[in-house]
Amino acid sequence: MTAVATPDARKAGRWLYVTSVVLLCAWVIVPLYFLLINTLSAPEDVQSYPKAFFPAFDMGSLSFFVTFNGMIDALLNSIMVAGLTMILSIAIGAPAGYALSRFDFRGKELFRLLILLTRAFPLPLLALPLAVMFIRTGLDDTIIGLALVHTTLAIPFAVLITFSLFSGIPMELEEAAWTLGCTRLTAFTKVVLPLILPGIAASAIFAFVISWNEVFAAAVLTIENRTLTAFLLVKLSEAPIHLKFAGGFILVLPALIFIFAVRKYLFAMWGIANR
Amino acid sequence: MTLFSKTFGAASAIAMSCAAVAAQADVLFWSTQARPAEEAQAMTEQVLSGFAGGVDYQPNEGGPWLTRLQAELQAGSGSIGVLGSLHGDFSAMNPDDLVDLDDLGVSSASATFDTLAKLGTDNMQYIPWMQASYIMAANKEALQYLPEGADIDALTYDQLIEWSANVHEAVGEPKFGFPAGPKGLKHRFFQGYLYPSYTNGVVRTFASDEAVTAWEAFKSLWEHTNPASTNFSFMQEQLLSGDAWIAFDHTSRLAQAFNDRPDDFVAFPAPAGPTGRGFMPVLAGVAIPRTAPDMDAAKELVKYMLDPATQIATLRATNFFPVVDVALPEDLPPSVKAAGDAVAKMSGSADANPGLLPAGLGDKGGDFSQVFVDTFERIVLANQDIRMVLDDQKGKLAAIMQESGAPCWAPDAASDGPCPVE
Repeated sequence: MTAVATPDARKAGRWLYVTSVVLLCAWVIVPLYFLLINTLSAPEDVQSYPKAFFPAFDMGSLSFFVTFNGMIDALLNSIMVAGLTMILSIAIGAPAGYALSRFDFRGKELFRLLILLTRAFPLPLLALPLAVMFIRTGLDDTIIGLALVHTTLAIPFAVLITFSLFSGIPMELEEAAWTLGCTRLTAFTKVVLPLILPGIAASAIFAFVISWNEVFAAAVLTIENRTLTAFLLVKLSEAPIHLKFAGGFILVLPALIFIFAVRKYLFAMWGIANR
Repeated sequence: MTLFSKTFGAASAIAMSCAAVAAQADVLFWSTQARPAEEAQAMTEQVLSGFAGGVDYQPNEGGPWLTRLQAELQAGSGSIGVLGSLHGDFSAMNPDDLVDLDDLGVSSASATFDTLAKLGTDNMQYIPWMQASYIMAANKEALQYLPEGADIDALTYDQLIEWSANVHEAVGEPKFGFPAGPKGLKHRFFQGYLYPSYTNGVVRTFASDEAVTAWEAFKSLWEHTNPASTNFSFMQEQLLSGDAWIAFDHTSRLAQAFNDRPDDFVAFPAPAGPTGRGFMPVLAGVAIPRTAPDMDAAKELVKYMLDPATQIATLRATNFFPVVDVALPEDLPPSVKAAGDAVAKMSGSADANPGLLPAGLGDKGGDFSQVFVDTFERIVLANQDIRMVLDDQKGKLAAIMQESGAPCWAPDAASDGPCPVE
């Protein structure tokens, strides 16, 4: 009995590997593909089946949204809220993650649990008191107000992701930097930060996606400055099916472009996590 | 990293500069109606563009709609000028939060609607805005299987069951479609159609022997119903896709089928049972919350919504019919003609048994409908014994009626005090 696999087993293994890769890709790509095909089909063809492989490039459904009042404003609002959420959640979450991984303090475990609690209450429950407070303080219907709410939702992820990232970087590296003349701060900025930047970028993407997808708070807390999700989703859930596809496409596209643009940082984080 | 920091920088810069956007002076019309993209667009462009003051029309789901409104009421100030919603949503509110609208001098053409709009007070709390109903629609393919001697404009429930069975047998799959999905309006079918047609009541007769017959009939209809109906919420989609050939739904939830393929579908009245042809209206209203920022503009907008020309524009945009007396023009969309004809035949039929919307339930309206949904799920989906389920659910219904103190509404016989479940 040797440990070397027989050619047959190796072949089967490769076959399994290729199949899994194909299946996983199909899992992601097929729905997006159907979304694209149906978006570019004429309204009457959306219901028909089977689909032509190449879309008909009928712009009817999409052009409806081009003339839709307020679409562009809502898109800009969404980008701004998601961008602010990204900045705020990293600015608040990363130091907390660093503290959790490097220092021992009383109530550390409790603190880790408490961070998760912001996700424990359903937003529809929190939205009413929040809205009352926002109206009274003037935060109501502002980009910053909504970004604050989304930051609260994104912080648990930011803290936990950065916590595991910092934990993955040996303390010895920092200590070595101190012996070579770095202060705690410069050791952090010169040694640790470059190592975890890709990871930070990944948790920023997470914050972006959370904010991009959130509807309820956005629908209650904004009136004039709606985000794209709040603006479109309400109108899509009962719209004719060809408009649902076109609207869904419009909602997905910016997020896809964004993730595509920052994909190398995402892959880099997986590299770190594998160590 | 450069792209990333650029994104960061750009986003924050834009955010800072836009954080303080000046408030608009338009009246904010906060509505739960006309939500679908095309209807919302038509409301803005065709219905509200004629209003001199400018309107910001914002349709919303019920949850955010109510939460935002409550927040403004609690905070004591707000931006919502005019509310648009269904009677049921207004009746769940505290009438003190709505401005009395008697001095506007507008009302609907129906005394019943105007009484409903007072929400149990002496003053108009909202103004009836538009109305609709539920009807049946069928693919013309199905017409050849109509039972012998059946008139599609005067069907009975037995004929409907036989018809659906014929189609089932001929095509090999069940083609009756019922909006039993999560967003479907199935409870309205039981409250306004099945119960009145079989028991001549809704609350009093909830657990009567006639009710058992009604549920037995519905169970035999279910045998010929597309089992995917528990996912159907807008029957126009299944009519268009061919998953359903015969369907029951809200007129505006069937509209797209008639507008897309007017020659392929027919609309017809709901069927009749032993106690007549039960049917029920849908009533939407406009109201003004006490926190409206510009009260005069809001009142002007409410008046504008009741203007005959606006009402016809609203009909075109939403498939909801006017509540004031208007002469309907000739060139209406196919869905409006089809639905209008079916509703007229339904209310004009010799055996018509019109019901009213549940009234006086206050915030128990949701629980009231849930009783019917639960009963449906237990009897039809879980196949439990009808008598046992009705006796069981009866207690819940009686508790809701006692708690809300709502008196009986048509077709139930009038009551002193809360409507009893007999």
